[in-house]
Amino acid sequence: KELKYASFTPPQHTVTAAVIDKMNDELSGATGGELTVRGYFGGELGAGPAEQYVRVLQGVADLSWGLPGYTSSQFPKTMIVEMPGAVPEGKTGYDLIWDNIDALKEEFPGTIPVALWTSEPNAFIMKDVAVHSPEDIAGLKIRVAGSTAAEVAAALGATPVQMPMTEVYNALQTGLIDGVISGVSTLSDFKLEEVATHITTGAPLGRLTFFTVLNQSTYDGLSDDEKAAMDAVIGRDLSKSAEDAWNATADEALSSAVDSGSVELIELSDDEAKAFADLVEPVSMSYAESIGGGDLLKSMMGE
Amino acid sequence: MSAAAVGLIGLAILLVLLIIRIPVAIAMFVVGWCGIAALNGIKAANGLLASETFTLASSGELVVVPLFILMGNVASVTGMSRRLYDAAYAIIGSIRGGLASATVVGCGGFAALSGSSVASALTMGKVALAEMNRFKYDDRLSTGVVAAGGTLGILIPPSTGFVIYAILTEQSIGRLFLAGVVPGLLLLGCFVLTVTLICFIRPAFGPTGPRTSMSEKARALVGAGPIVGVIVLTIGGIYGGLFSPTEAAAVGAGLVILIGFVSRTLSLRDLWVASRQSVVTTATVMLILIAAHMINPFLALSHIPSAVGEFLISLNLPVVGTLMIILAVYLVLGCFLEGFAMLVLTLPIFFPIITQLGIDPIWFGVLVVLTLEMGLISPPVGINVFIVKSVASDVPLSRIFVGVLPFWCAMLVTLAILVAFPQITLFLPSTMIQ
Amino acid sequence: MEALRKIADGLIGLSAAIGSLGLLVVVGVILVDVIGRAFGSPLFGSQDMVTMGMVIIVFGGMALCDRTGGHVAVDVFENHFPRGFNRAVDVIAALLGAIIFFGIAWTIWESSQISRMLNLSTNLLRLPKAWFQWALMGFAIVTALGMLLRAAELAFRGRDIRGESHSGEEPL
Ligand code: NA
Ligand code: NA
Repeated sequence: KELKYASFTPPQHTVTAAVIDKMNDELSGATGGELTVRGYFGGELGAGPAEQYVRVLQGVADLSWGLPGYTSSQFPKTMIVEMPGAVPEGKTGYDLIWDNIDALKEEFPGTIPVALWTSEPNAFIMKDVAVHSPEDIAGLKIRVAGSTAAEVAAALGATPVQMPMTEVYNALQTGLIDGVISGVSTLSDFKLEEVATHITTGAPLGRLTFFTVLNQSTYDGLSDDEKAAMDAVIGRDLSKSAEDAWNATADEALSSAVDSGSVELIELSDDEAKAFADLVEPVSMSYAESIGGGDLLKSMMGE
Repeated sequence: MSAAAVGLIGLAILLVLLIIRIPVAIAMFVVGWCGIAALNGIKAANGLLASETFTLASSGELVVVPLFILMGNVASVTGMSRRLYDAAYAIIGSIRGGLASATVVGCGGFAALSGSSVASALTMGKVALAEMNRFKYDDRLSTGVVAAGGTLGILIPPSTGFVIYAILTEQSIGRLFLAGVVPGLLLLGCFVLTVTLICFIRPAFGPTGPRTSMSEKARALVGAGPIVGVIVLTIGGIYGGLFSPTEAAAVGAGLVILIGFVSRTLSLRDLWVASRQSVVTTATVMLILIAAHMINPFLALSHIPSAVGEFLISLNLPVVGTLMIILAVYLVLGCFLEGFAMLVLTLPIFFPIITQLGIDPIWFGVLVVLTLEMGLISPPVGINVFIVKSVASDVPLSRIFVGVLPFWCAMLVTLAILVAFPQITLFLPSTMIQ
Repeated sequence: MEALRKIADGLIGLSAAIGSLGLLVVVGVILVDVIGRAFGSPLFGSQDMVTMGMVIIVFGGMALCDRTGGHVAVDVFENHFPRGFNRAVDVIAALLGAIIFFGIAWTIWESSQISRMLNLSTNLLRLPKAWFQWALMGFAIVTALGMLLRAAELAFRGRDIRGESHSGEEPL
């Protein structure tokens, strides 16, 4: 049996080796080639990240990956992981998620979450602005992805601007926006390294979360051996593979951008970072409390 | 039956449905749905029908479609388009096919503003077709010029086509944009040459007007002032970072409405009628785009592109031969597929072959975008031709296809020149530091 | 059938009017956003309004588009076919169109159930996705019914409504 894995990104994207190929190798190895995974790339089975969960639910694909942030109303609790300060120092995002999986599982009806992981931390990716303190971005136009990122930007005194990611390159170039709050992997994924000039890391700006889900009835239709093989592949281990690969991609994107000399890297000291933390951490708690997840956030932060 | 066989049968059925005059969108829906149902089950076909429909109908990028149509409609009801063409006629009307050449240049200018061929063809169609008709231009020439000229939108930067190519192949967007400039101007020049040639062979296609004095020219130019002002403000706003190309469409529409109200050439009722006509044209265009997106997953599931790729590798041809075959495949696929869908479907397969052979990826990107443009006007599924048809409903489609044929040939010549002389494409991006 | 035609044209006109209103509203929303942003206060959730407004614009005009013969067909070989054949194709095309629009309505209804189950809404303004799916469904049903009526008129009366102007239509 060949499972269809729909990916909205091109085949050379990080997810291919870290999740799709890994699943295919391990499943076909364990079942003697009976159960395989085939990737459909670049949105061949339907474009964009926003509808991927629904496509799995409707059986367009057996497996797919996506970002809860695009449909945040479906994932109020999972979104807590994205908030500034939610992932404590020294802990990985996927461990945090899987430690709290019982609280998050209800947000994935009709599917089995086979991998849940987080991105590298968000950074300021700016054009012509060196950000050292919150005053540096006050009044600037910053592109944000979702509602919580918009609140973070607003808490820092910036003007949050919404736009499709594919328009960001042009918008930075023409000065329509001054910068972006996102992970540094966008430097290579969306070619922002060509137009950005300054990157500031170390401020608590949150991060992105990702899911890979498997259609529940696809799983139910597997033989007992195939189910056993699937059970062995999915979960924390697959999530670690994804998160490690994401971090490696981000490190590479950042160092290649810095080495090329086209961008300047600003790494905030602990003191500098605290000035940002003081402003944005109330946003995290007020969001968590607004969805009845205050205790969840506290337990995540290790309090 | 193999998946590839199902795919080929599906394309054959699509061809038959189109030939017997089933509306284009309906035919693509039927073939796409049945093909996906055959290859992946009815549940998946239904799921895609719903998700492709809603995703495209709620697309933040495609909102330029109704906005530019509205701008074109208001510009024509207020007489702004008329005065623009009066000015063009006064200045270059005495040259054979002058207005058609001016329209091509206008398409090029609009292309520099919008990244989309659909938007270029729609807006220029709304503005230019009735006006060329007024000056007794043959409708084959006028529709052909707009359909072909509109495709410049994805060769002259900014271009959605290059952005998608860059992201799919990890190339530099900046280099691709620079690489598109000279080929875009070259193609524009070839189009003007084509217009001139047509009008020398068939003078009745683009009748010459009377010579005008300097003062007549100046007076006509002043009359076109408002619409020229709108265009300058819109382009300036984009490059000045005031708004995005998408928002520029709304700014343009807002400005022509404002000018119309202030100059009392637009009543509320006119605006309402223009808006109503705009949603009807939008429906035509969007239904075709949605239906085209049902064909894409069908062909992906049929694995035809990867079969072609494997075949190509097995042939073991020299570099030039492989490049020729790949471009030929793009020309054939372009007959059936919407441009961007084609990129997504084929690049993952062909791009590794290209890089293995040491072919310059920027050069290849420009060649691919040019073949994509040719696909936009080639029968049977020529999206730009359908768009022109949607704004010129009284011109038979067959006449539009005849009209674009010389321009398609001009594109083929341009493609040959670009293949023969890679420096034309590559010298500008090579000046970029890095 | 005359009464049916009157009701149909009324519904078709209403749905196009909603679409036209949506278009003017979207122009206004973007303008307010652009101007506001230049002064440091963009319109909150403008992208949510624009994308959902787009649904209304695109499908609002769909029924009128079919009613006025706006859907593009390849007419290259029309004159080579017998008249009866062309008439039959017109009827079949209208019926196929009705099936597709009923299909769109049905599948969108099913996905609206999923949207409700998943609590899907726009990211900033939290506008429920299902509302706009229901709107799309309504417009699709009007379009499908219009196509059915058109097919019936064509088959039983030999009347091609696409050649007659819509009652609420004024020339531009
Ligand atoms: Na362009
Ligand atoms: Na074509």
